[in-house]
Amino acid sequence: MKTRPGATKSHRLRYAVPAVVASASLFLAACGGGSSSDDGGDGGNGGNGGAPAADVLDKASGVTTVAFWHAMDGTNAEALTKLVADFNSQNTGKIEVKATYAGKYDDAITKYKAAIQSKSTPDVIQIYDIGTRFMIDAKQTIPMQSFIDRDKLDVGDLQPNITGYYSIDDKLNSMPFNTSMPVLYYNKTLFKKAGLDPEAPPQDLAAIRTAAEKLSKKAGGPADYGFGAAIYGWLLEQFIATDGKEYCDQGNGRDGKATKVQFDSPEAVEVVKWWQTMVKDGLAANTGRDTKAAQAAFKSGQLAITLESTGQLGGYSKAAKEGGWELGAANYPHIKAGTEGGPIIGGASLWINGENHEDANKEAAWRFVKFLADKKSQAQWHTGTGYFPISKGALDEPVDVDYRKANPLFDVAVKQLEGTKLSKATQGCLLGVMPQARKASEDGLEAALNGTDAQQAMTKAADSLKAQISQYNSSVK
Amino acid sequence: MTTTTGDPVRAEHDPEEPPQPQSGSPAGGEAKRERWIAIGYLLPALAIFGLFIFWPLVKSILLSVQGTDILGNPSGFVGFVNYTRLFSDPDFLQVLWVTFAFTILTVIPSIAIALLIALLLQSRIRGVRFFRTAFALPFAFSVATASVIFGVLFNPASGVLNGILNTFGIDKVQWLTNPDLALWSVSGATVWMQIGYNLLVLSAGLGALPEDVLEAARLDGASGFRLQRSIVMPLLTPQLFFLVVVGTIHSLQSFGQIKILTVGGPEDRTTTLVYSIYEQAFANNNSNYGYASAQAMVLLIIVLVITALQFGVLERKVFYR
Amino acid sequence: MTTTSPKAATPPKATAPKTSRRSSSKPSHIGSYLILGVLFLIVLFPVYYGLVGSFMGERDTNSFPPALWPKNGVHPDNYSKALDIIPLGNQYLTSVLQTIGITLGQMVTSALAAYAFVFLNLRWRAFWFGVFLSTMMIPFESIIIPNYLLISQWGLKDTIAGLTLPFLATGFGTFLLRQSFLSFPMELRDAARVDGAGHFRFLFSILLPLSRPSLAALGIWSALSAWNMYFWPLLATEDPKHQTIQIGISQLQSSDSDSPGMVLAGVMLALFPTLLLVIFGQRFIVRGLTTGAVK
Repeated sequence: MKTRPGATKSHRLRYAVPAVVASASLFLAACGGGSSSDDGGDGGNGGNGGAPAADVLDKASGVTTVAFWHAMDGTNAEALTKLVADFNSQNTGKIEVKATYAGKYDDAITKYKAAIQSKSTPDVIQIYDIGTRFMIDAKQTIPMQSFIDRDKLDVGDLQPNITGYYSIDDKLNSMPFNTSMPVLYYNKTLFKKAGLDPEAPPQDLAAIRTAAEKLSKKAGGPADYGFGAAIYGWLLEQFIATDGKEYCDQGNGRDGKATKVQFDSPEAVEVVKWWQTMVKDGLAANTGRDTKAAQAAFKSGQLAITLESTGQLGGYSKAAKEGGWELGAANYPHIKAGTEGGPIIGGASLWINGENHEDANKEAAWRFVKFLADKKSQAQWHTGTGYFPISKGALDEPVDVDYRKANPLFDVAVKQLEGTKLSKATQGCLLGVMPQARKASEDGLEAALNGTDAQQAMTKAADSLKAQISQYNSSVK
Repeated sequence: MTTTTGDPVRAEHDPEEPPQPQSGSPAGGEAKRERWIAIGYLLPALAIFGLFIFWPLVKSILLSVQGTDILGNPSGFVGFVNYTRLFSDPDFLQVLWVTFAFTILTVIPSIAIALLIALLLQSRIRGVRFFRTAFALPFAFSVATASVIFGVLFNPASGVLNGILNTFGIDKVQWLTNPDLALWSVSGATVWMQIGYNLLVLSAGLGALPEDVLEAARLDGASGFRLQRSIVMPLLTPQLFFLVVVGTIHSLQSFGQIKILTVGGPEDRTTTLVYSIYEQAFANNNSNYGYASAQAMVLLIIVLVITALQFGVLERKVFYR
Repeated sequence: MTTTSPKAATPPKATAPKTSRRSSSKPSHIGSYLILGVLFLIVLFPVYYGLVGSFMGERDTNSFPPALWPKNGVHPDNYSKALDIIPLGNQYLTSVLQTIGITLGQMVTSALAAYAFVFLNLRWRAFWFGVFLSTMMIPFESIIIPNYLLISQWGLKDTIAGLTLPFLATGFGTFLLRQSFLSFPMELRDAARVDGAGHFRFLFSILLPLSRPSLAALGIWSALSAWNMYFWPLLATEDPKHQTIQIGISQLQSSDSDSPGMVLAGVMLALFPTLLLVIFGQRFIVRGLTTGAVK
């Protein structure tokens, strides 16, 4: 077993016993030729192999400090700080979590890369959804599954459609934390003005167009544009998923390393073409990539229908109240009615670092992660931030019930999630260069909305990723 | 920044010929000691240059001929692959074109407008001092402060620019999201940022013009535009030349306004060379240091060429009094 | 140093504006006023809107067409809201420390080097001078990646050291001070040496005080460009508490809040020091612009 460089002598003594066990099991695992992630895990080989023995923390004396890097700011950070404080007060004298803001998602992962180089990764780090494949390939972390298996933990409380994103072969790599989903928002007041049924929101592309034809100013309607959403790759990913199709090959990157993206497939191009024609016909606004621009346009009543994450529910409700109009929310639309598929969750998850970490830290980290995933914490998190709770039980907590009574539209998201059948399509694509892929799809969509042929634009965008994907795959062999 | 541009004032001493200490020439040992002292005086600056300019320069070159793994580590020598990829990549050719267009669209207008203002302020009208202070205000803005303000002005949904156009019955303009317009908008904001500085330089230059020459010209009947064109402008060439060179290099280095206003979009139509380096190296979980370093070397070479042009070819043609 | 904007450069030749201009009025002046007026409106509008907008509420800024002055009440609370979202106090302090560090560092290293170039018996003077000059031709953006790697490796991200270290020396500043030192009367220098002043004492208690205009010029440009830096602080910091004010205000813009007034309030706060400098110290700046080239 490797001790962390700089560990004091007394520390080393303290872990002498598990260290012996660890080397033994490492030896056995090596002999068996199998890997150890589900062997009940007294692994703790200092690498990413598996969970340490469950009692390491009891044997440790003093306070074990857990370094936790997160990417939450504003009200989200406040809610998180409160959870951390709760955990610390429950574990006084035993575990202390030190939370550090590591910048926004992109900055956090950049900082994490630097930390790997200098062998100073935090015990727990929050990484965005599209960094999942990278985190697996960086080989620094202990899969959640090895802790779950060791503790024979019942994870039935976790929403399977959420854990699905972070699982490969039903093995959970990281613990989902802040989670959001895409939904369709619409302005009921504008619907009424246009003579549409405010309780029957459009649920597929053709229906959105029909509604937009009545809503848009160009066709004599009450809104500047019937439809408008940001040029945001996530939305395109959602359309492909609701159509039941995969975004990248190799079973959405879950059967093996994906080698290409498929957002130039006929279904995806159909969406792009539809969007393009909507813009051309003056039925949809092109507000560019900045999600805030589309949000502002919807809030001010310039758009009647938009696509956004559940995270915007609070902001939209407030804008509706102040602006004197009624907000509606509905399931994310399908390309065609009746297709089987559903939206993919988004957000970020928590990873426990094993490489160069003490067993006691790994165990303490796991307890912290378990605490955050607990229904009580999740109810608190959900109501404090508007993120989707990953725990089913959280929805029954009194504070959560009250919250949803005050925000009835949130139930749309709950029903949508529960109604989605988990498949590789709805699990979402795992791809090492997923952040770049998302940007490339935005390049394609943007070019199309500005007049380039839809197929041509999306093919060009997909092709532009080939070099990056093969470079990535060859460097993690 | 290249700063020794077009300085028409000759140093009293040539750098190559040091003023020898005039006091009784020191004994050999003392001279030796002084040499070491001299090195000691250079040392702090040299240490900083070595660590943060020259060593990084070597490292940039080394990085540019290596691949990069997913953590950003060099993954071995790849020869000129990064360079050949650069020049076969249509996106990179667009980057070069955007960089060129951005430079033209910022340097020329910012100098022309500043020159116009400076000449107008030269005429003997009331309130010159007020105008002079007012027009120099953009000089107080950093790239970030100016860009954030322009971001608010350009906002398509509720921006003031569209609001003003609206009162004239003009439809909303997608300043930053229309691919044909975005570069113009970012350039416009950049021109605004540059005007204050250019104006200060040109005003200082105009203020230093020999009054007797102007007076003589006026007596000869030169006035208005003729006076400006045939007398004032030639006398201003050192300043104009200086602003062209400094402005060009400054434009090539522009980053903040693109990051804040367009993040390189739409369709990468505002992705300049420096922004592209940033994107390859630091954005979207990229750490393609190899590829980005190859682009950095292209930037370096462009700047070196411009500097060489400045020193070698053009400087001789500039009119110096 | 290359990150310093061209603002840090000294333009060629100019002396104090000639006085004794007579006033005359010609019909062409009406045209001048007209053009000036139009340009004035265009150039000053962003300044006006930045200031006035920072006091406007969302009802004014988020409607269309947006108001050009506060129609629905003045909102000084934009400023407190901006302070809530970003740790502006910390960022101000970071910016100030960064600016002081870089400015002092550049003044000291430049003065020492310039002294060696002018007054000391330096071997390979031309070579060293070439080395210093060459640093001005290398754009910092072209070597920013290794600098970033270096600073992260040393664990200096989010520190004042990380923000300032790469900029503690400047070829331009050395050049500027050298120009000024060259015009220093040798007799004075010899007299000081005869009086027993060592190099160090001569430099700091005689030469530099007498070179105040050039030193001030260098200081102003160093300070302005340090305060206004954007790319490097963006890379060298992550924690909002350790970011500079320039990064802070750009984060304000991308924050979830949808209040342009609040964003503009942040801008005004960041702008305050440099705005004061330009309004009240313009003559000083112009002199700074011109000193390097004159004596």
